[in-house]
Amino acid sequence: MVVQALFISFFGLAAIWFGVVVFRTSSMVRSALALLFSQAAIGGMFLAMQAEFLGVLQIMMMATEMAIMAIFMVMYMMDPGGLGEMDMSHQKRASIAAGVLGTLAAVGVALLVDWTPTGTVTGPVEQTRLLGIEIMERSMLIFETAGVTILTAMIAATAVAIEGRRQR
Amino acid sequence: MTTLLIVLALLVGAYLVAVLEGWVSTGQFRIAGPLHSGAAMLGRESIVPRKPDRIFFEVAPPLLLVSAVLAAAVLPLAPGLVVADLATGALFVNAALAYVMVALLMAGWGPNAAYAMVGGWRFLGQLVAYSMLIVMPITAVAMRAESLVTTEVVTSQAPLWNAVYQPLGFALFLLAAMAVCFLPPLDLPDAPGELAGGVMAEYTGWRLAVMRLARAVLVVTLAAAVTVFYLGGWLGPVLPPWAWTALKALAVAAAMLLAGRYLPRLREADFLAWCWKLGIPLALFNIFYVGVLLLVV
Amino acid sequence: MTLAVALVVGAALFGIGLYGALSQTNLVMIMMGVELMLGAAMVNLVAFWRFLHPETYSGQMFVLIVMTVMALEMAVGFGVATGRFRAKGSVEMEEAQELKG
Repeated sequence: MVVQALFISFFGLAAIWFGVVVFRTSSMVRSALALLFSQAAIGGMFLAMQAEFLGVLQIMMMATEMAIMAIFMVMYMMDPGGLGEMDMSHQKRASIAAGVLGTLAAVGVALLVDWTPTGTVTGPVEQTRLLGIEIMERSMLIFETAGVTILTAMIAATAVAIEGRRQR
Repeated sequence: MTTLLIVLALLVGAYLVAVLEGWVSTGQFRIAGPLHSGAAMLGRESIVPRKPDRIFFEVAPPLLLVSAVLAAAVLPLAPGLVVADLATGALFVNAALAYVMVALLMAGWGPNAAYAMVGGWRFLGQLVAYSMLIVMPITAVAMRAESLVTTEVVTSQAPLWNAVYQPLGFALFLLAAMAVCFLPPLDLPDAPGELAGGVMAEYTGWRLAVMRLARAVLVVTLAAAVTVFYLGGWLGPVLPPWAWTALKALAVAAAMLLAGRYLPRLREADFLAWCWKLGIPLALFNIFYVGVLLLVV
Repeated sequence: MTLAVALVVGAALFGIGLYGALSQTNLVMIMMGVELMLGAAMVNLVAFWRFLHPETYSGQMFVLIVMTVMALEMAVGFGVATGRFRAKGSVEMEEAQELKG
């Protein structure tokens, strides 16, 4: 139990640290890869919380996602290398206040509510099987609906981005 | 002990792959060739380009090596001879191989050089092309094994190898495997001749040695993955199990290296278009086909 | 106790993400803030699944959906960014005053 808490806090600290780096570095590729490592550390937290399938999946998906993020940053930013030390932020004070307040509120809820944790969890092989049965049985309708909706939205978004025929 | 054996096997495999690669590309079979060039590389000065992104520049070669080794950690060489028999082994291979791309991206961005950067971003495009062709054939394999555990994937092939059971998936996975370890017809990120080395162009000395080693280990890992997923892993008569894995993996590696000698290099746009317009429908059909075989036959 | 650690980490990540989403001027950076917030949500979901209801797998399924939503958010965000970049040549949100309703 203590070991698990240690691992969770280690990966959690890594996630927070890289999360801070995302907004503190001025190199765009660095900030995208910092986000990648932050998300991979979240995947590590999943592994520490014995959700093996989700952890591995998170670590896999984020690598591709954040790399694509990086190339879009390079495409759309004026100073992707961060050599010009541009300031790319606005309403700083309000944002910091909002961030701190949000954190404090969430921490308050986390610490004040009287959770009653239960300890036991099944092994990873059984877990993967049960997750599959959950998806294909009880939550099938939800999963399929959500999946189709998300796919439609993705295709629609891509269609928006395709250059239309030029009108003169 | 197991870990040590696997690392040793990887190193030996990487050395053999390096010898084979030298043979394929120069036409001379020199057993000590990699040793000479490795020693020469270690002896040379390791130059750092001007104004690099130092962290990326330093981290990229080790990260490439680590991701290749991690992917190898879940592949069984013989019954019981596996570092981590994870419950999600088949998925973990994908997760580890995704970081190959991250490493090459870093190696491309880090040195602050044009050719390297072009190579790095090219590999991202290559990943977008091949990643589905890695995940979907593995899905079909896992369907047959009814498990993501790699040892069970091997034992599920006792009646019939997956290469025969689902030849389409095998072909697609082999192609994707060649794309992962950027072997010649698909060596877009380091394309010697048009990009002058690409992601590896700015690396010299011991950093280049690490990078070359990582590339060789990657080839071995991918060959072992093809063996485990499609060629029945350690299964085979007479010889001991580990020898079968070694033989099959070496044969796959040799086939992948030889293919590069006779095929022209693809353009990344063509590769992307073919993978998405042809490869993904075929992979989906493969999943459907395996499903029908499993349920009906 | 272990649950509290995970929840506090989730809260901190959410705070950082909120700060980023509000303070950055570039669309892509704003999306990074949103990604961090979604990551924080996933941490909480997994923590709740693990420590409160380890026998209910709907929790894990919800995490899967959130993961897909992250990918969706990127697709939509980049779709909008590409359209905007084509039309105006920049994705700076300070220059997008005309979108104000």
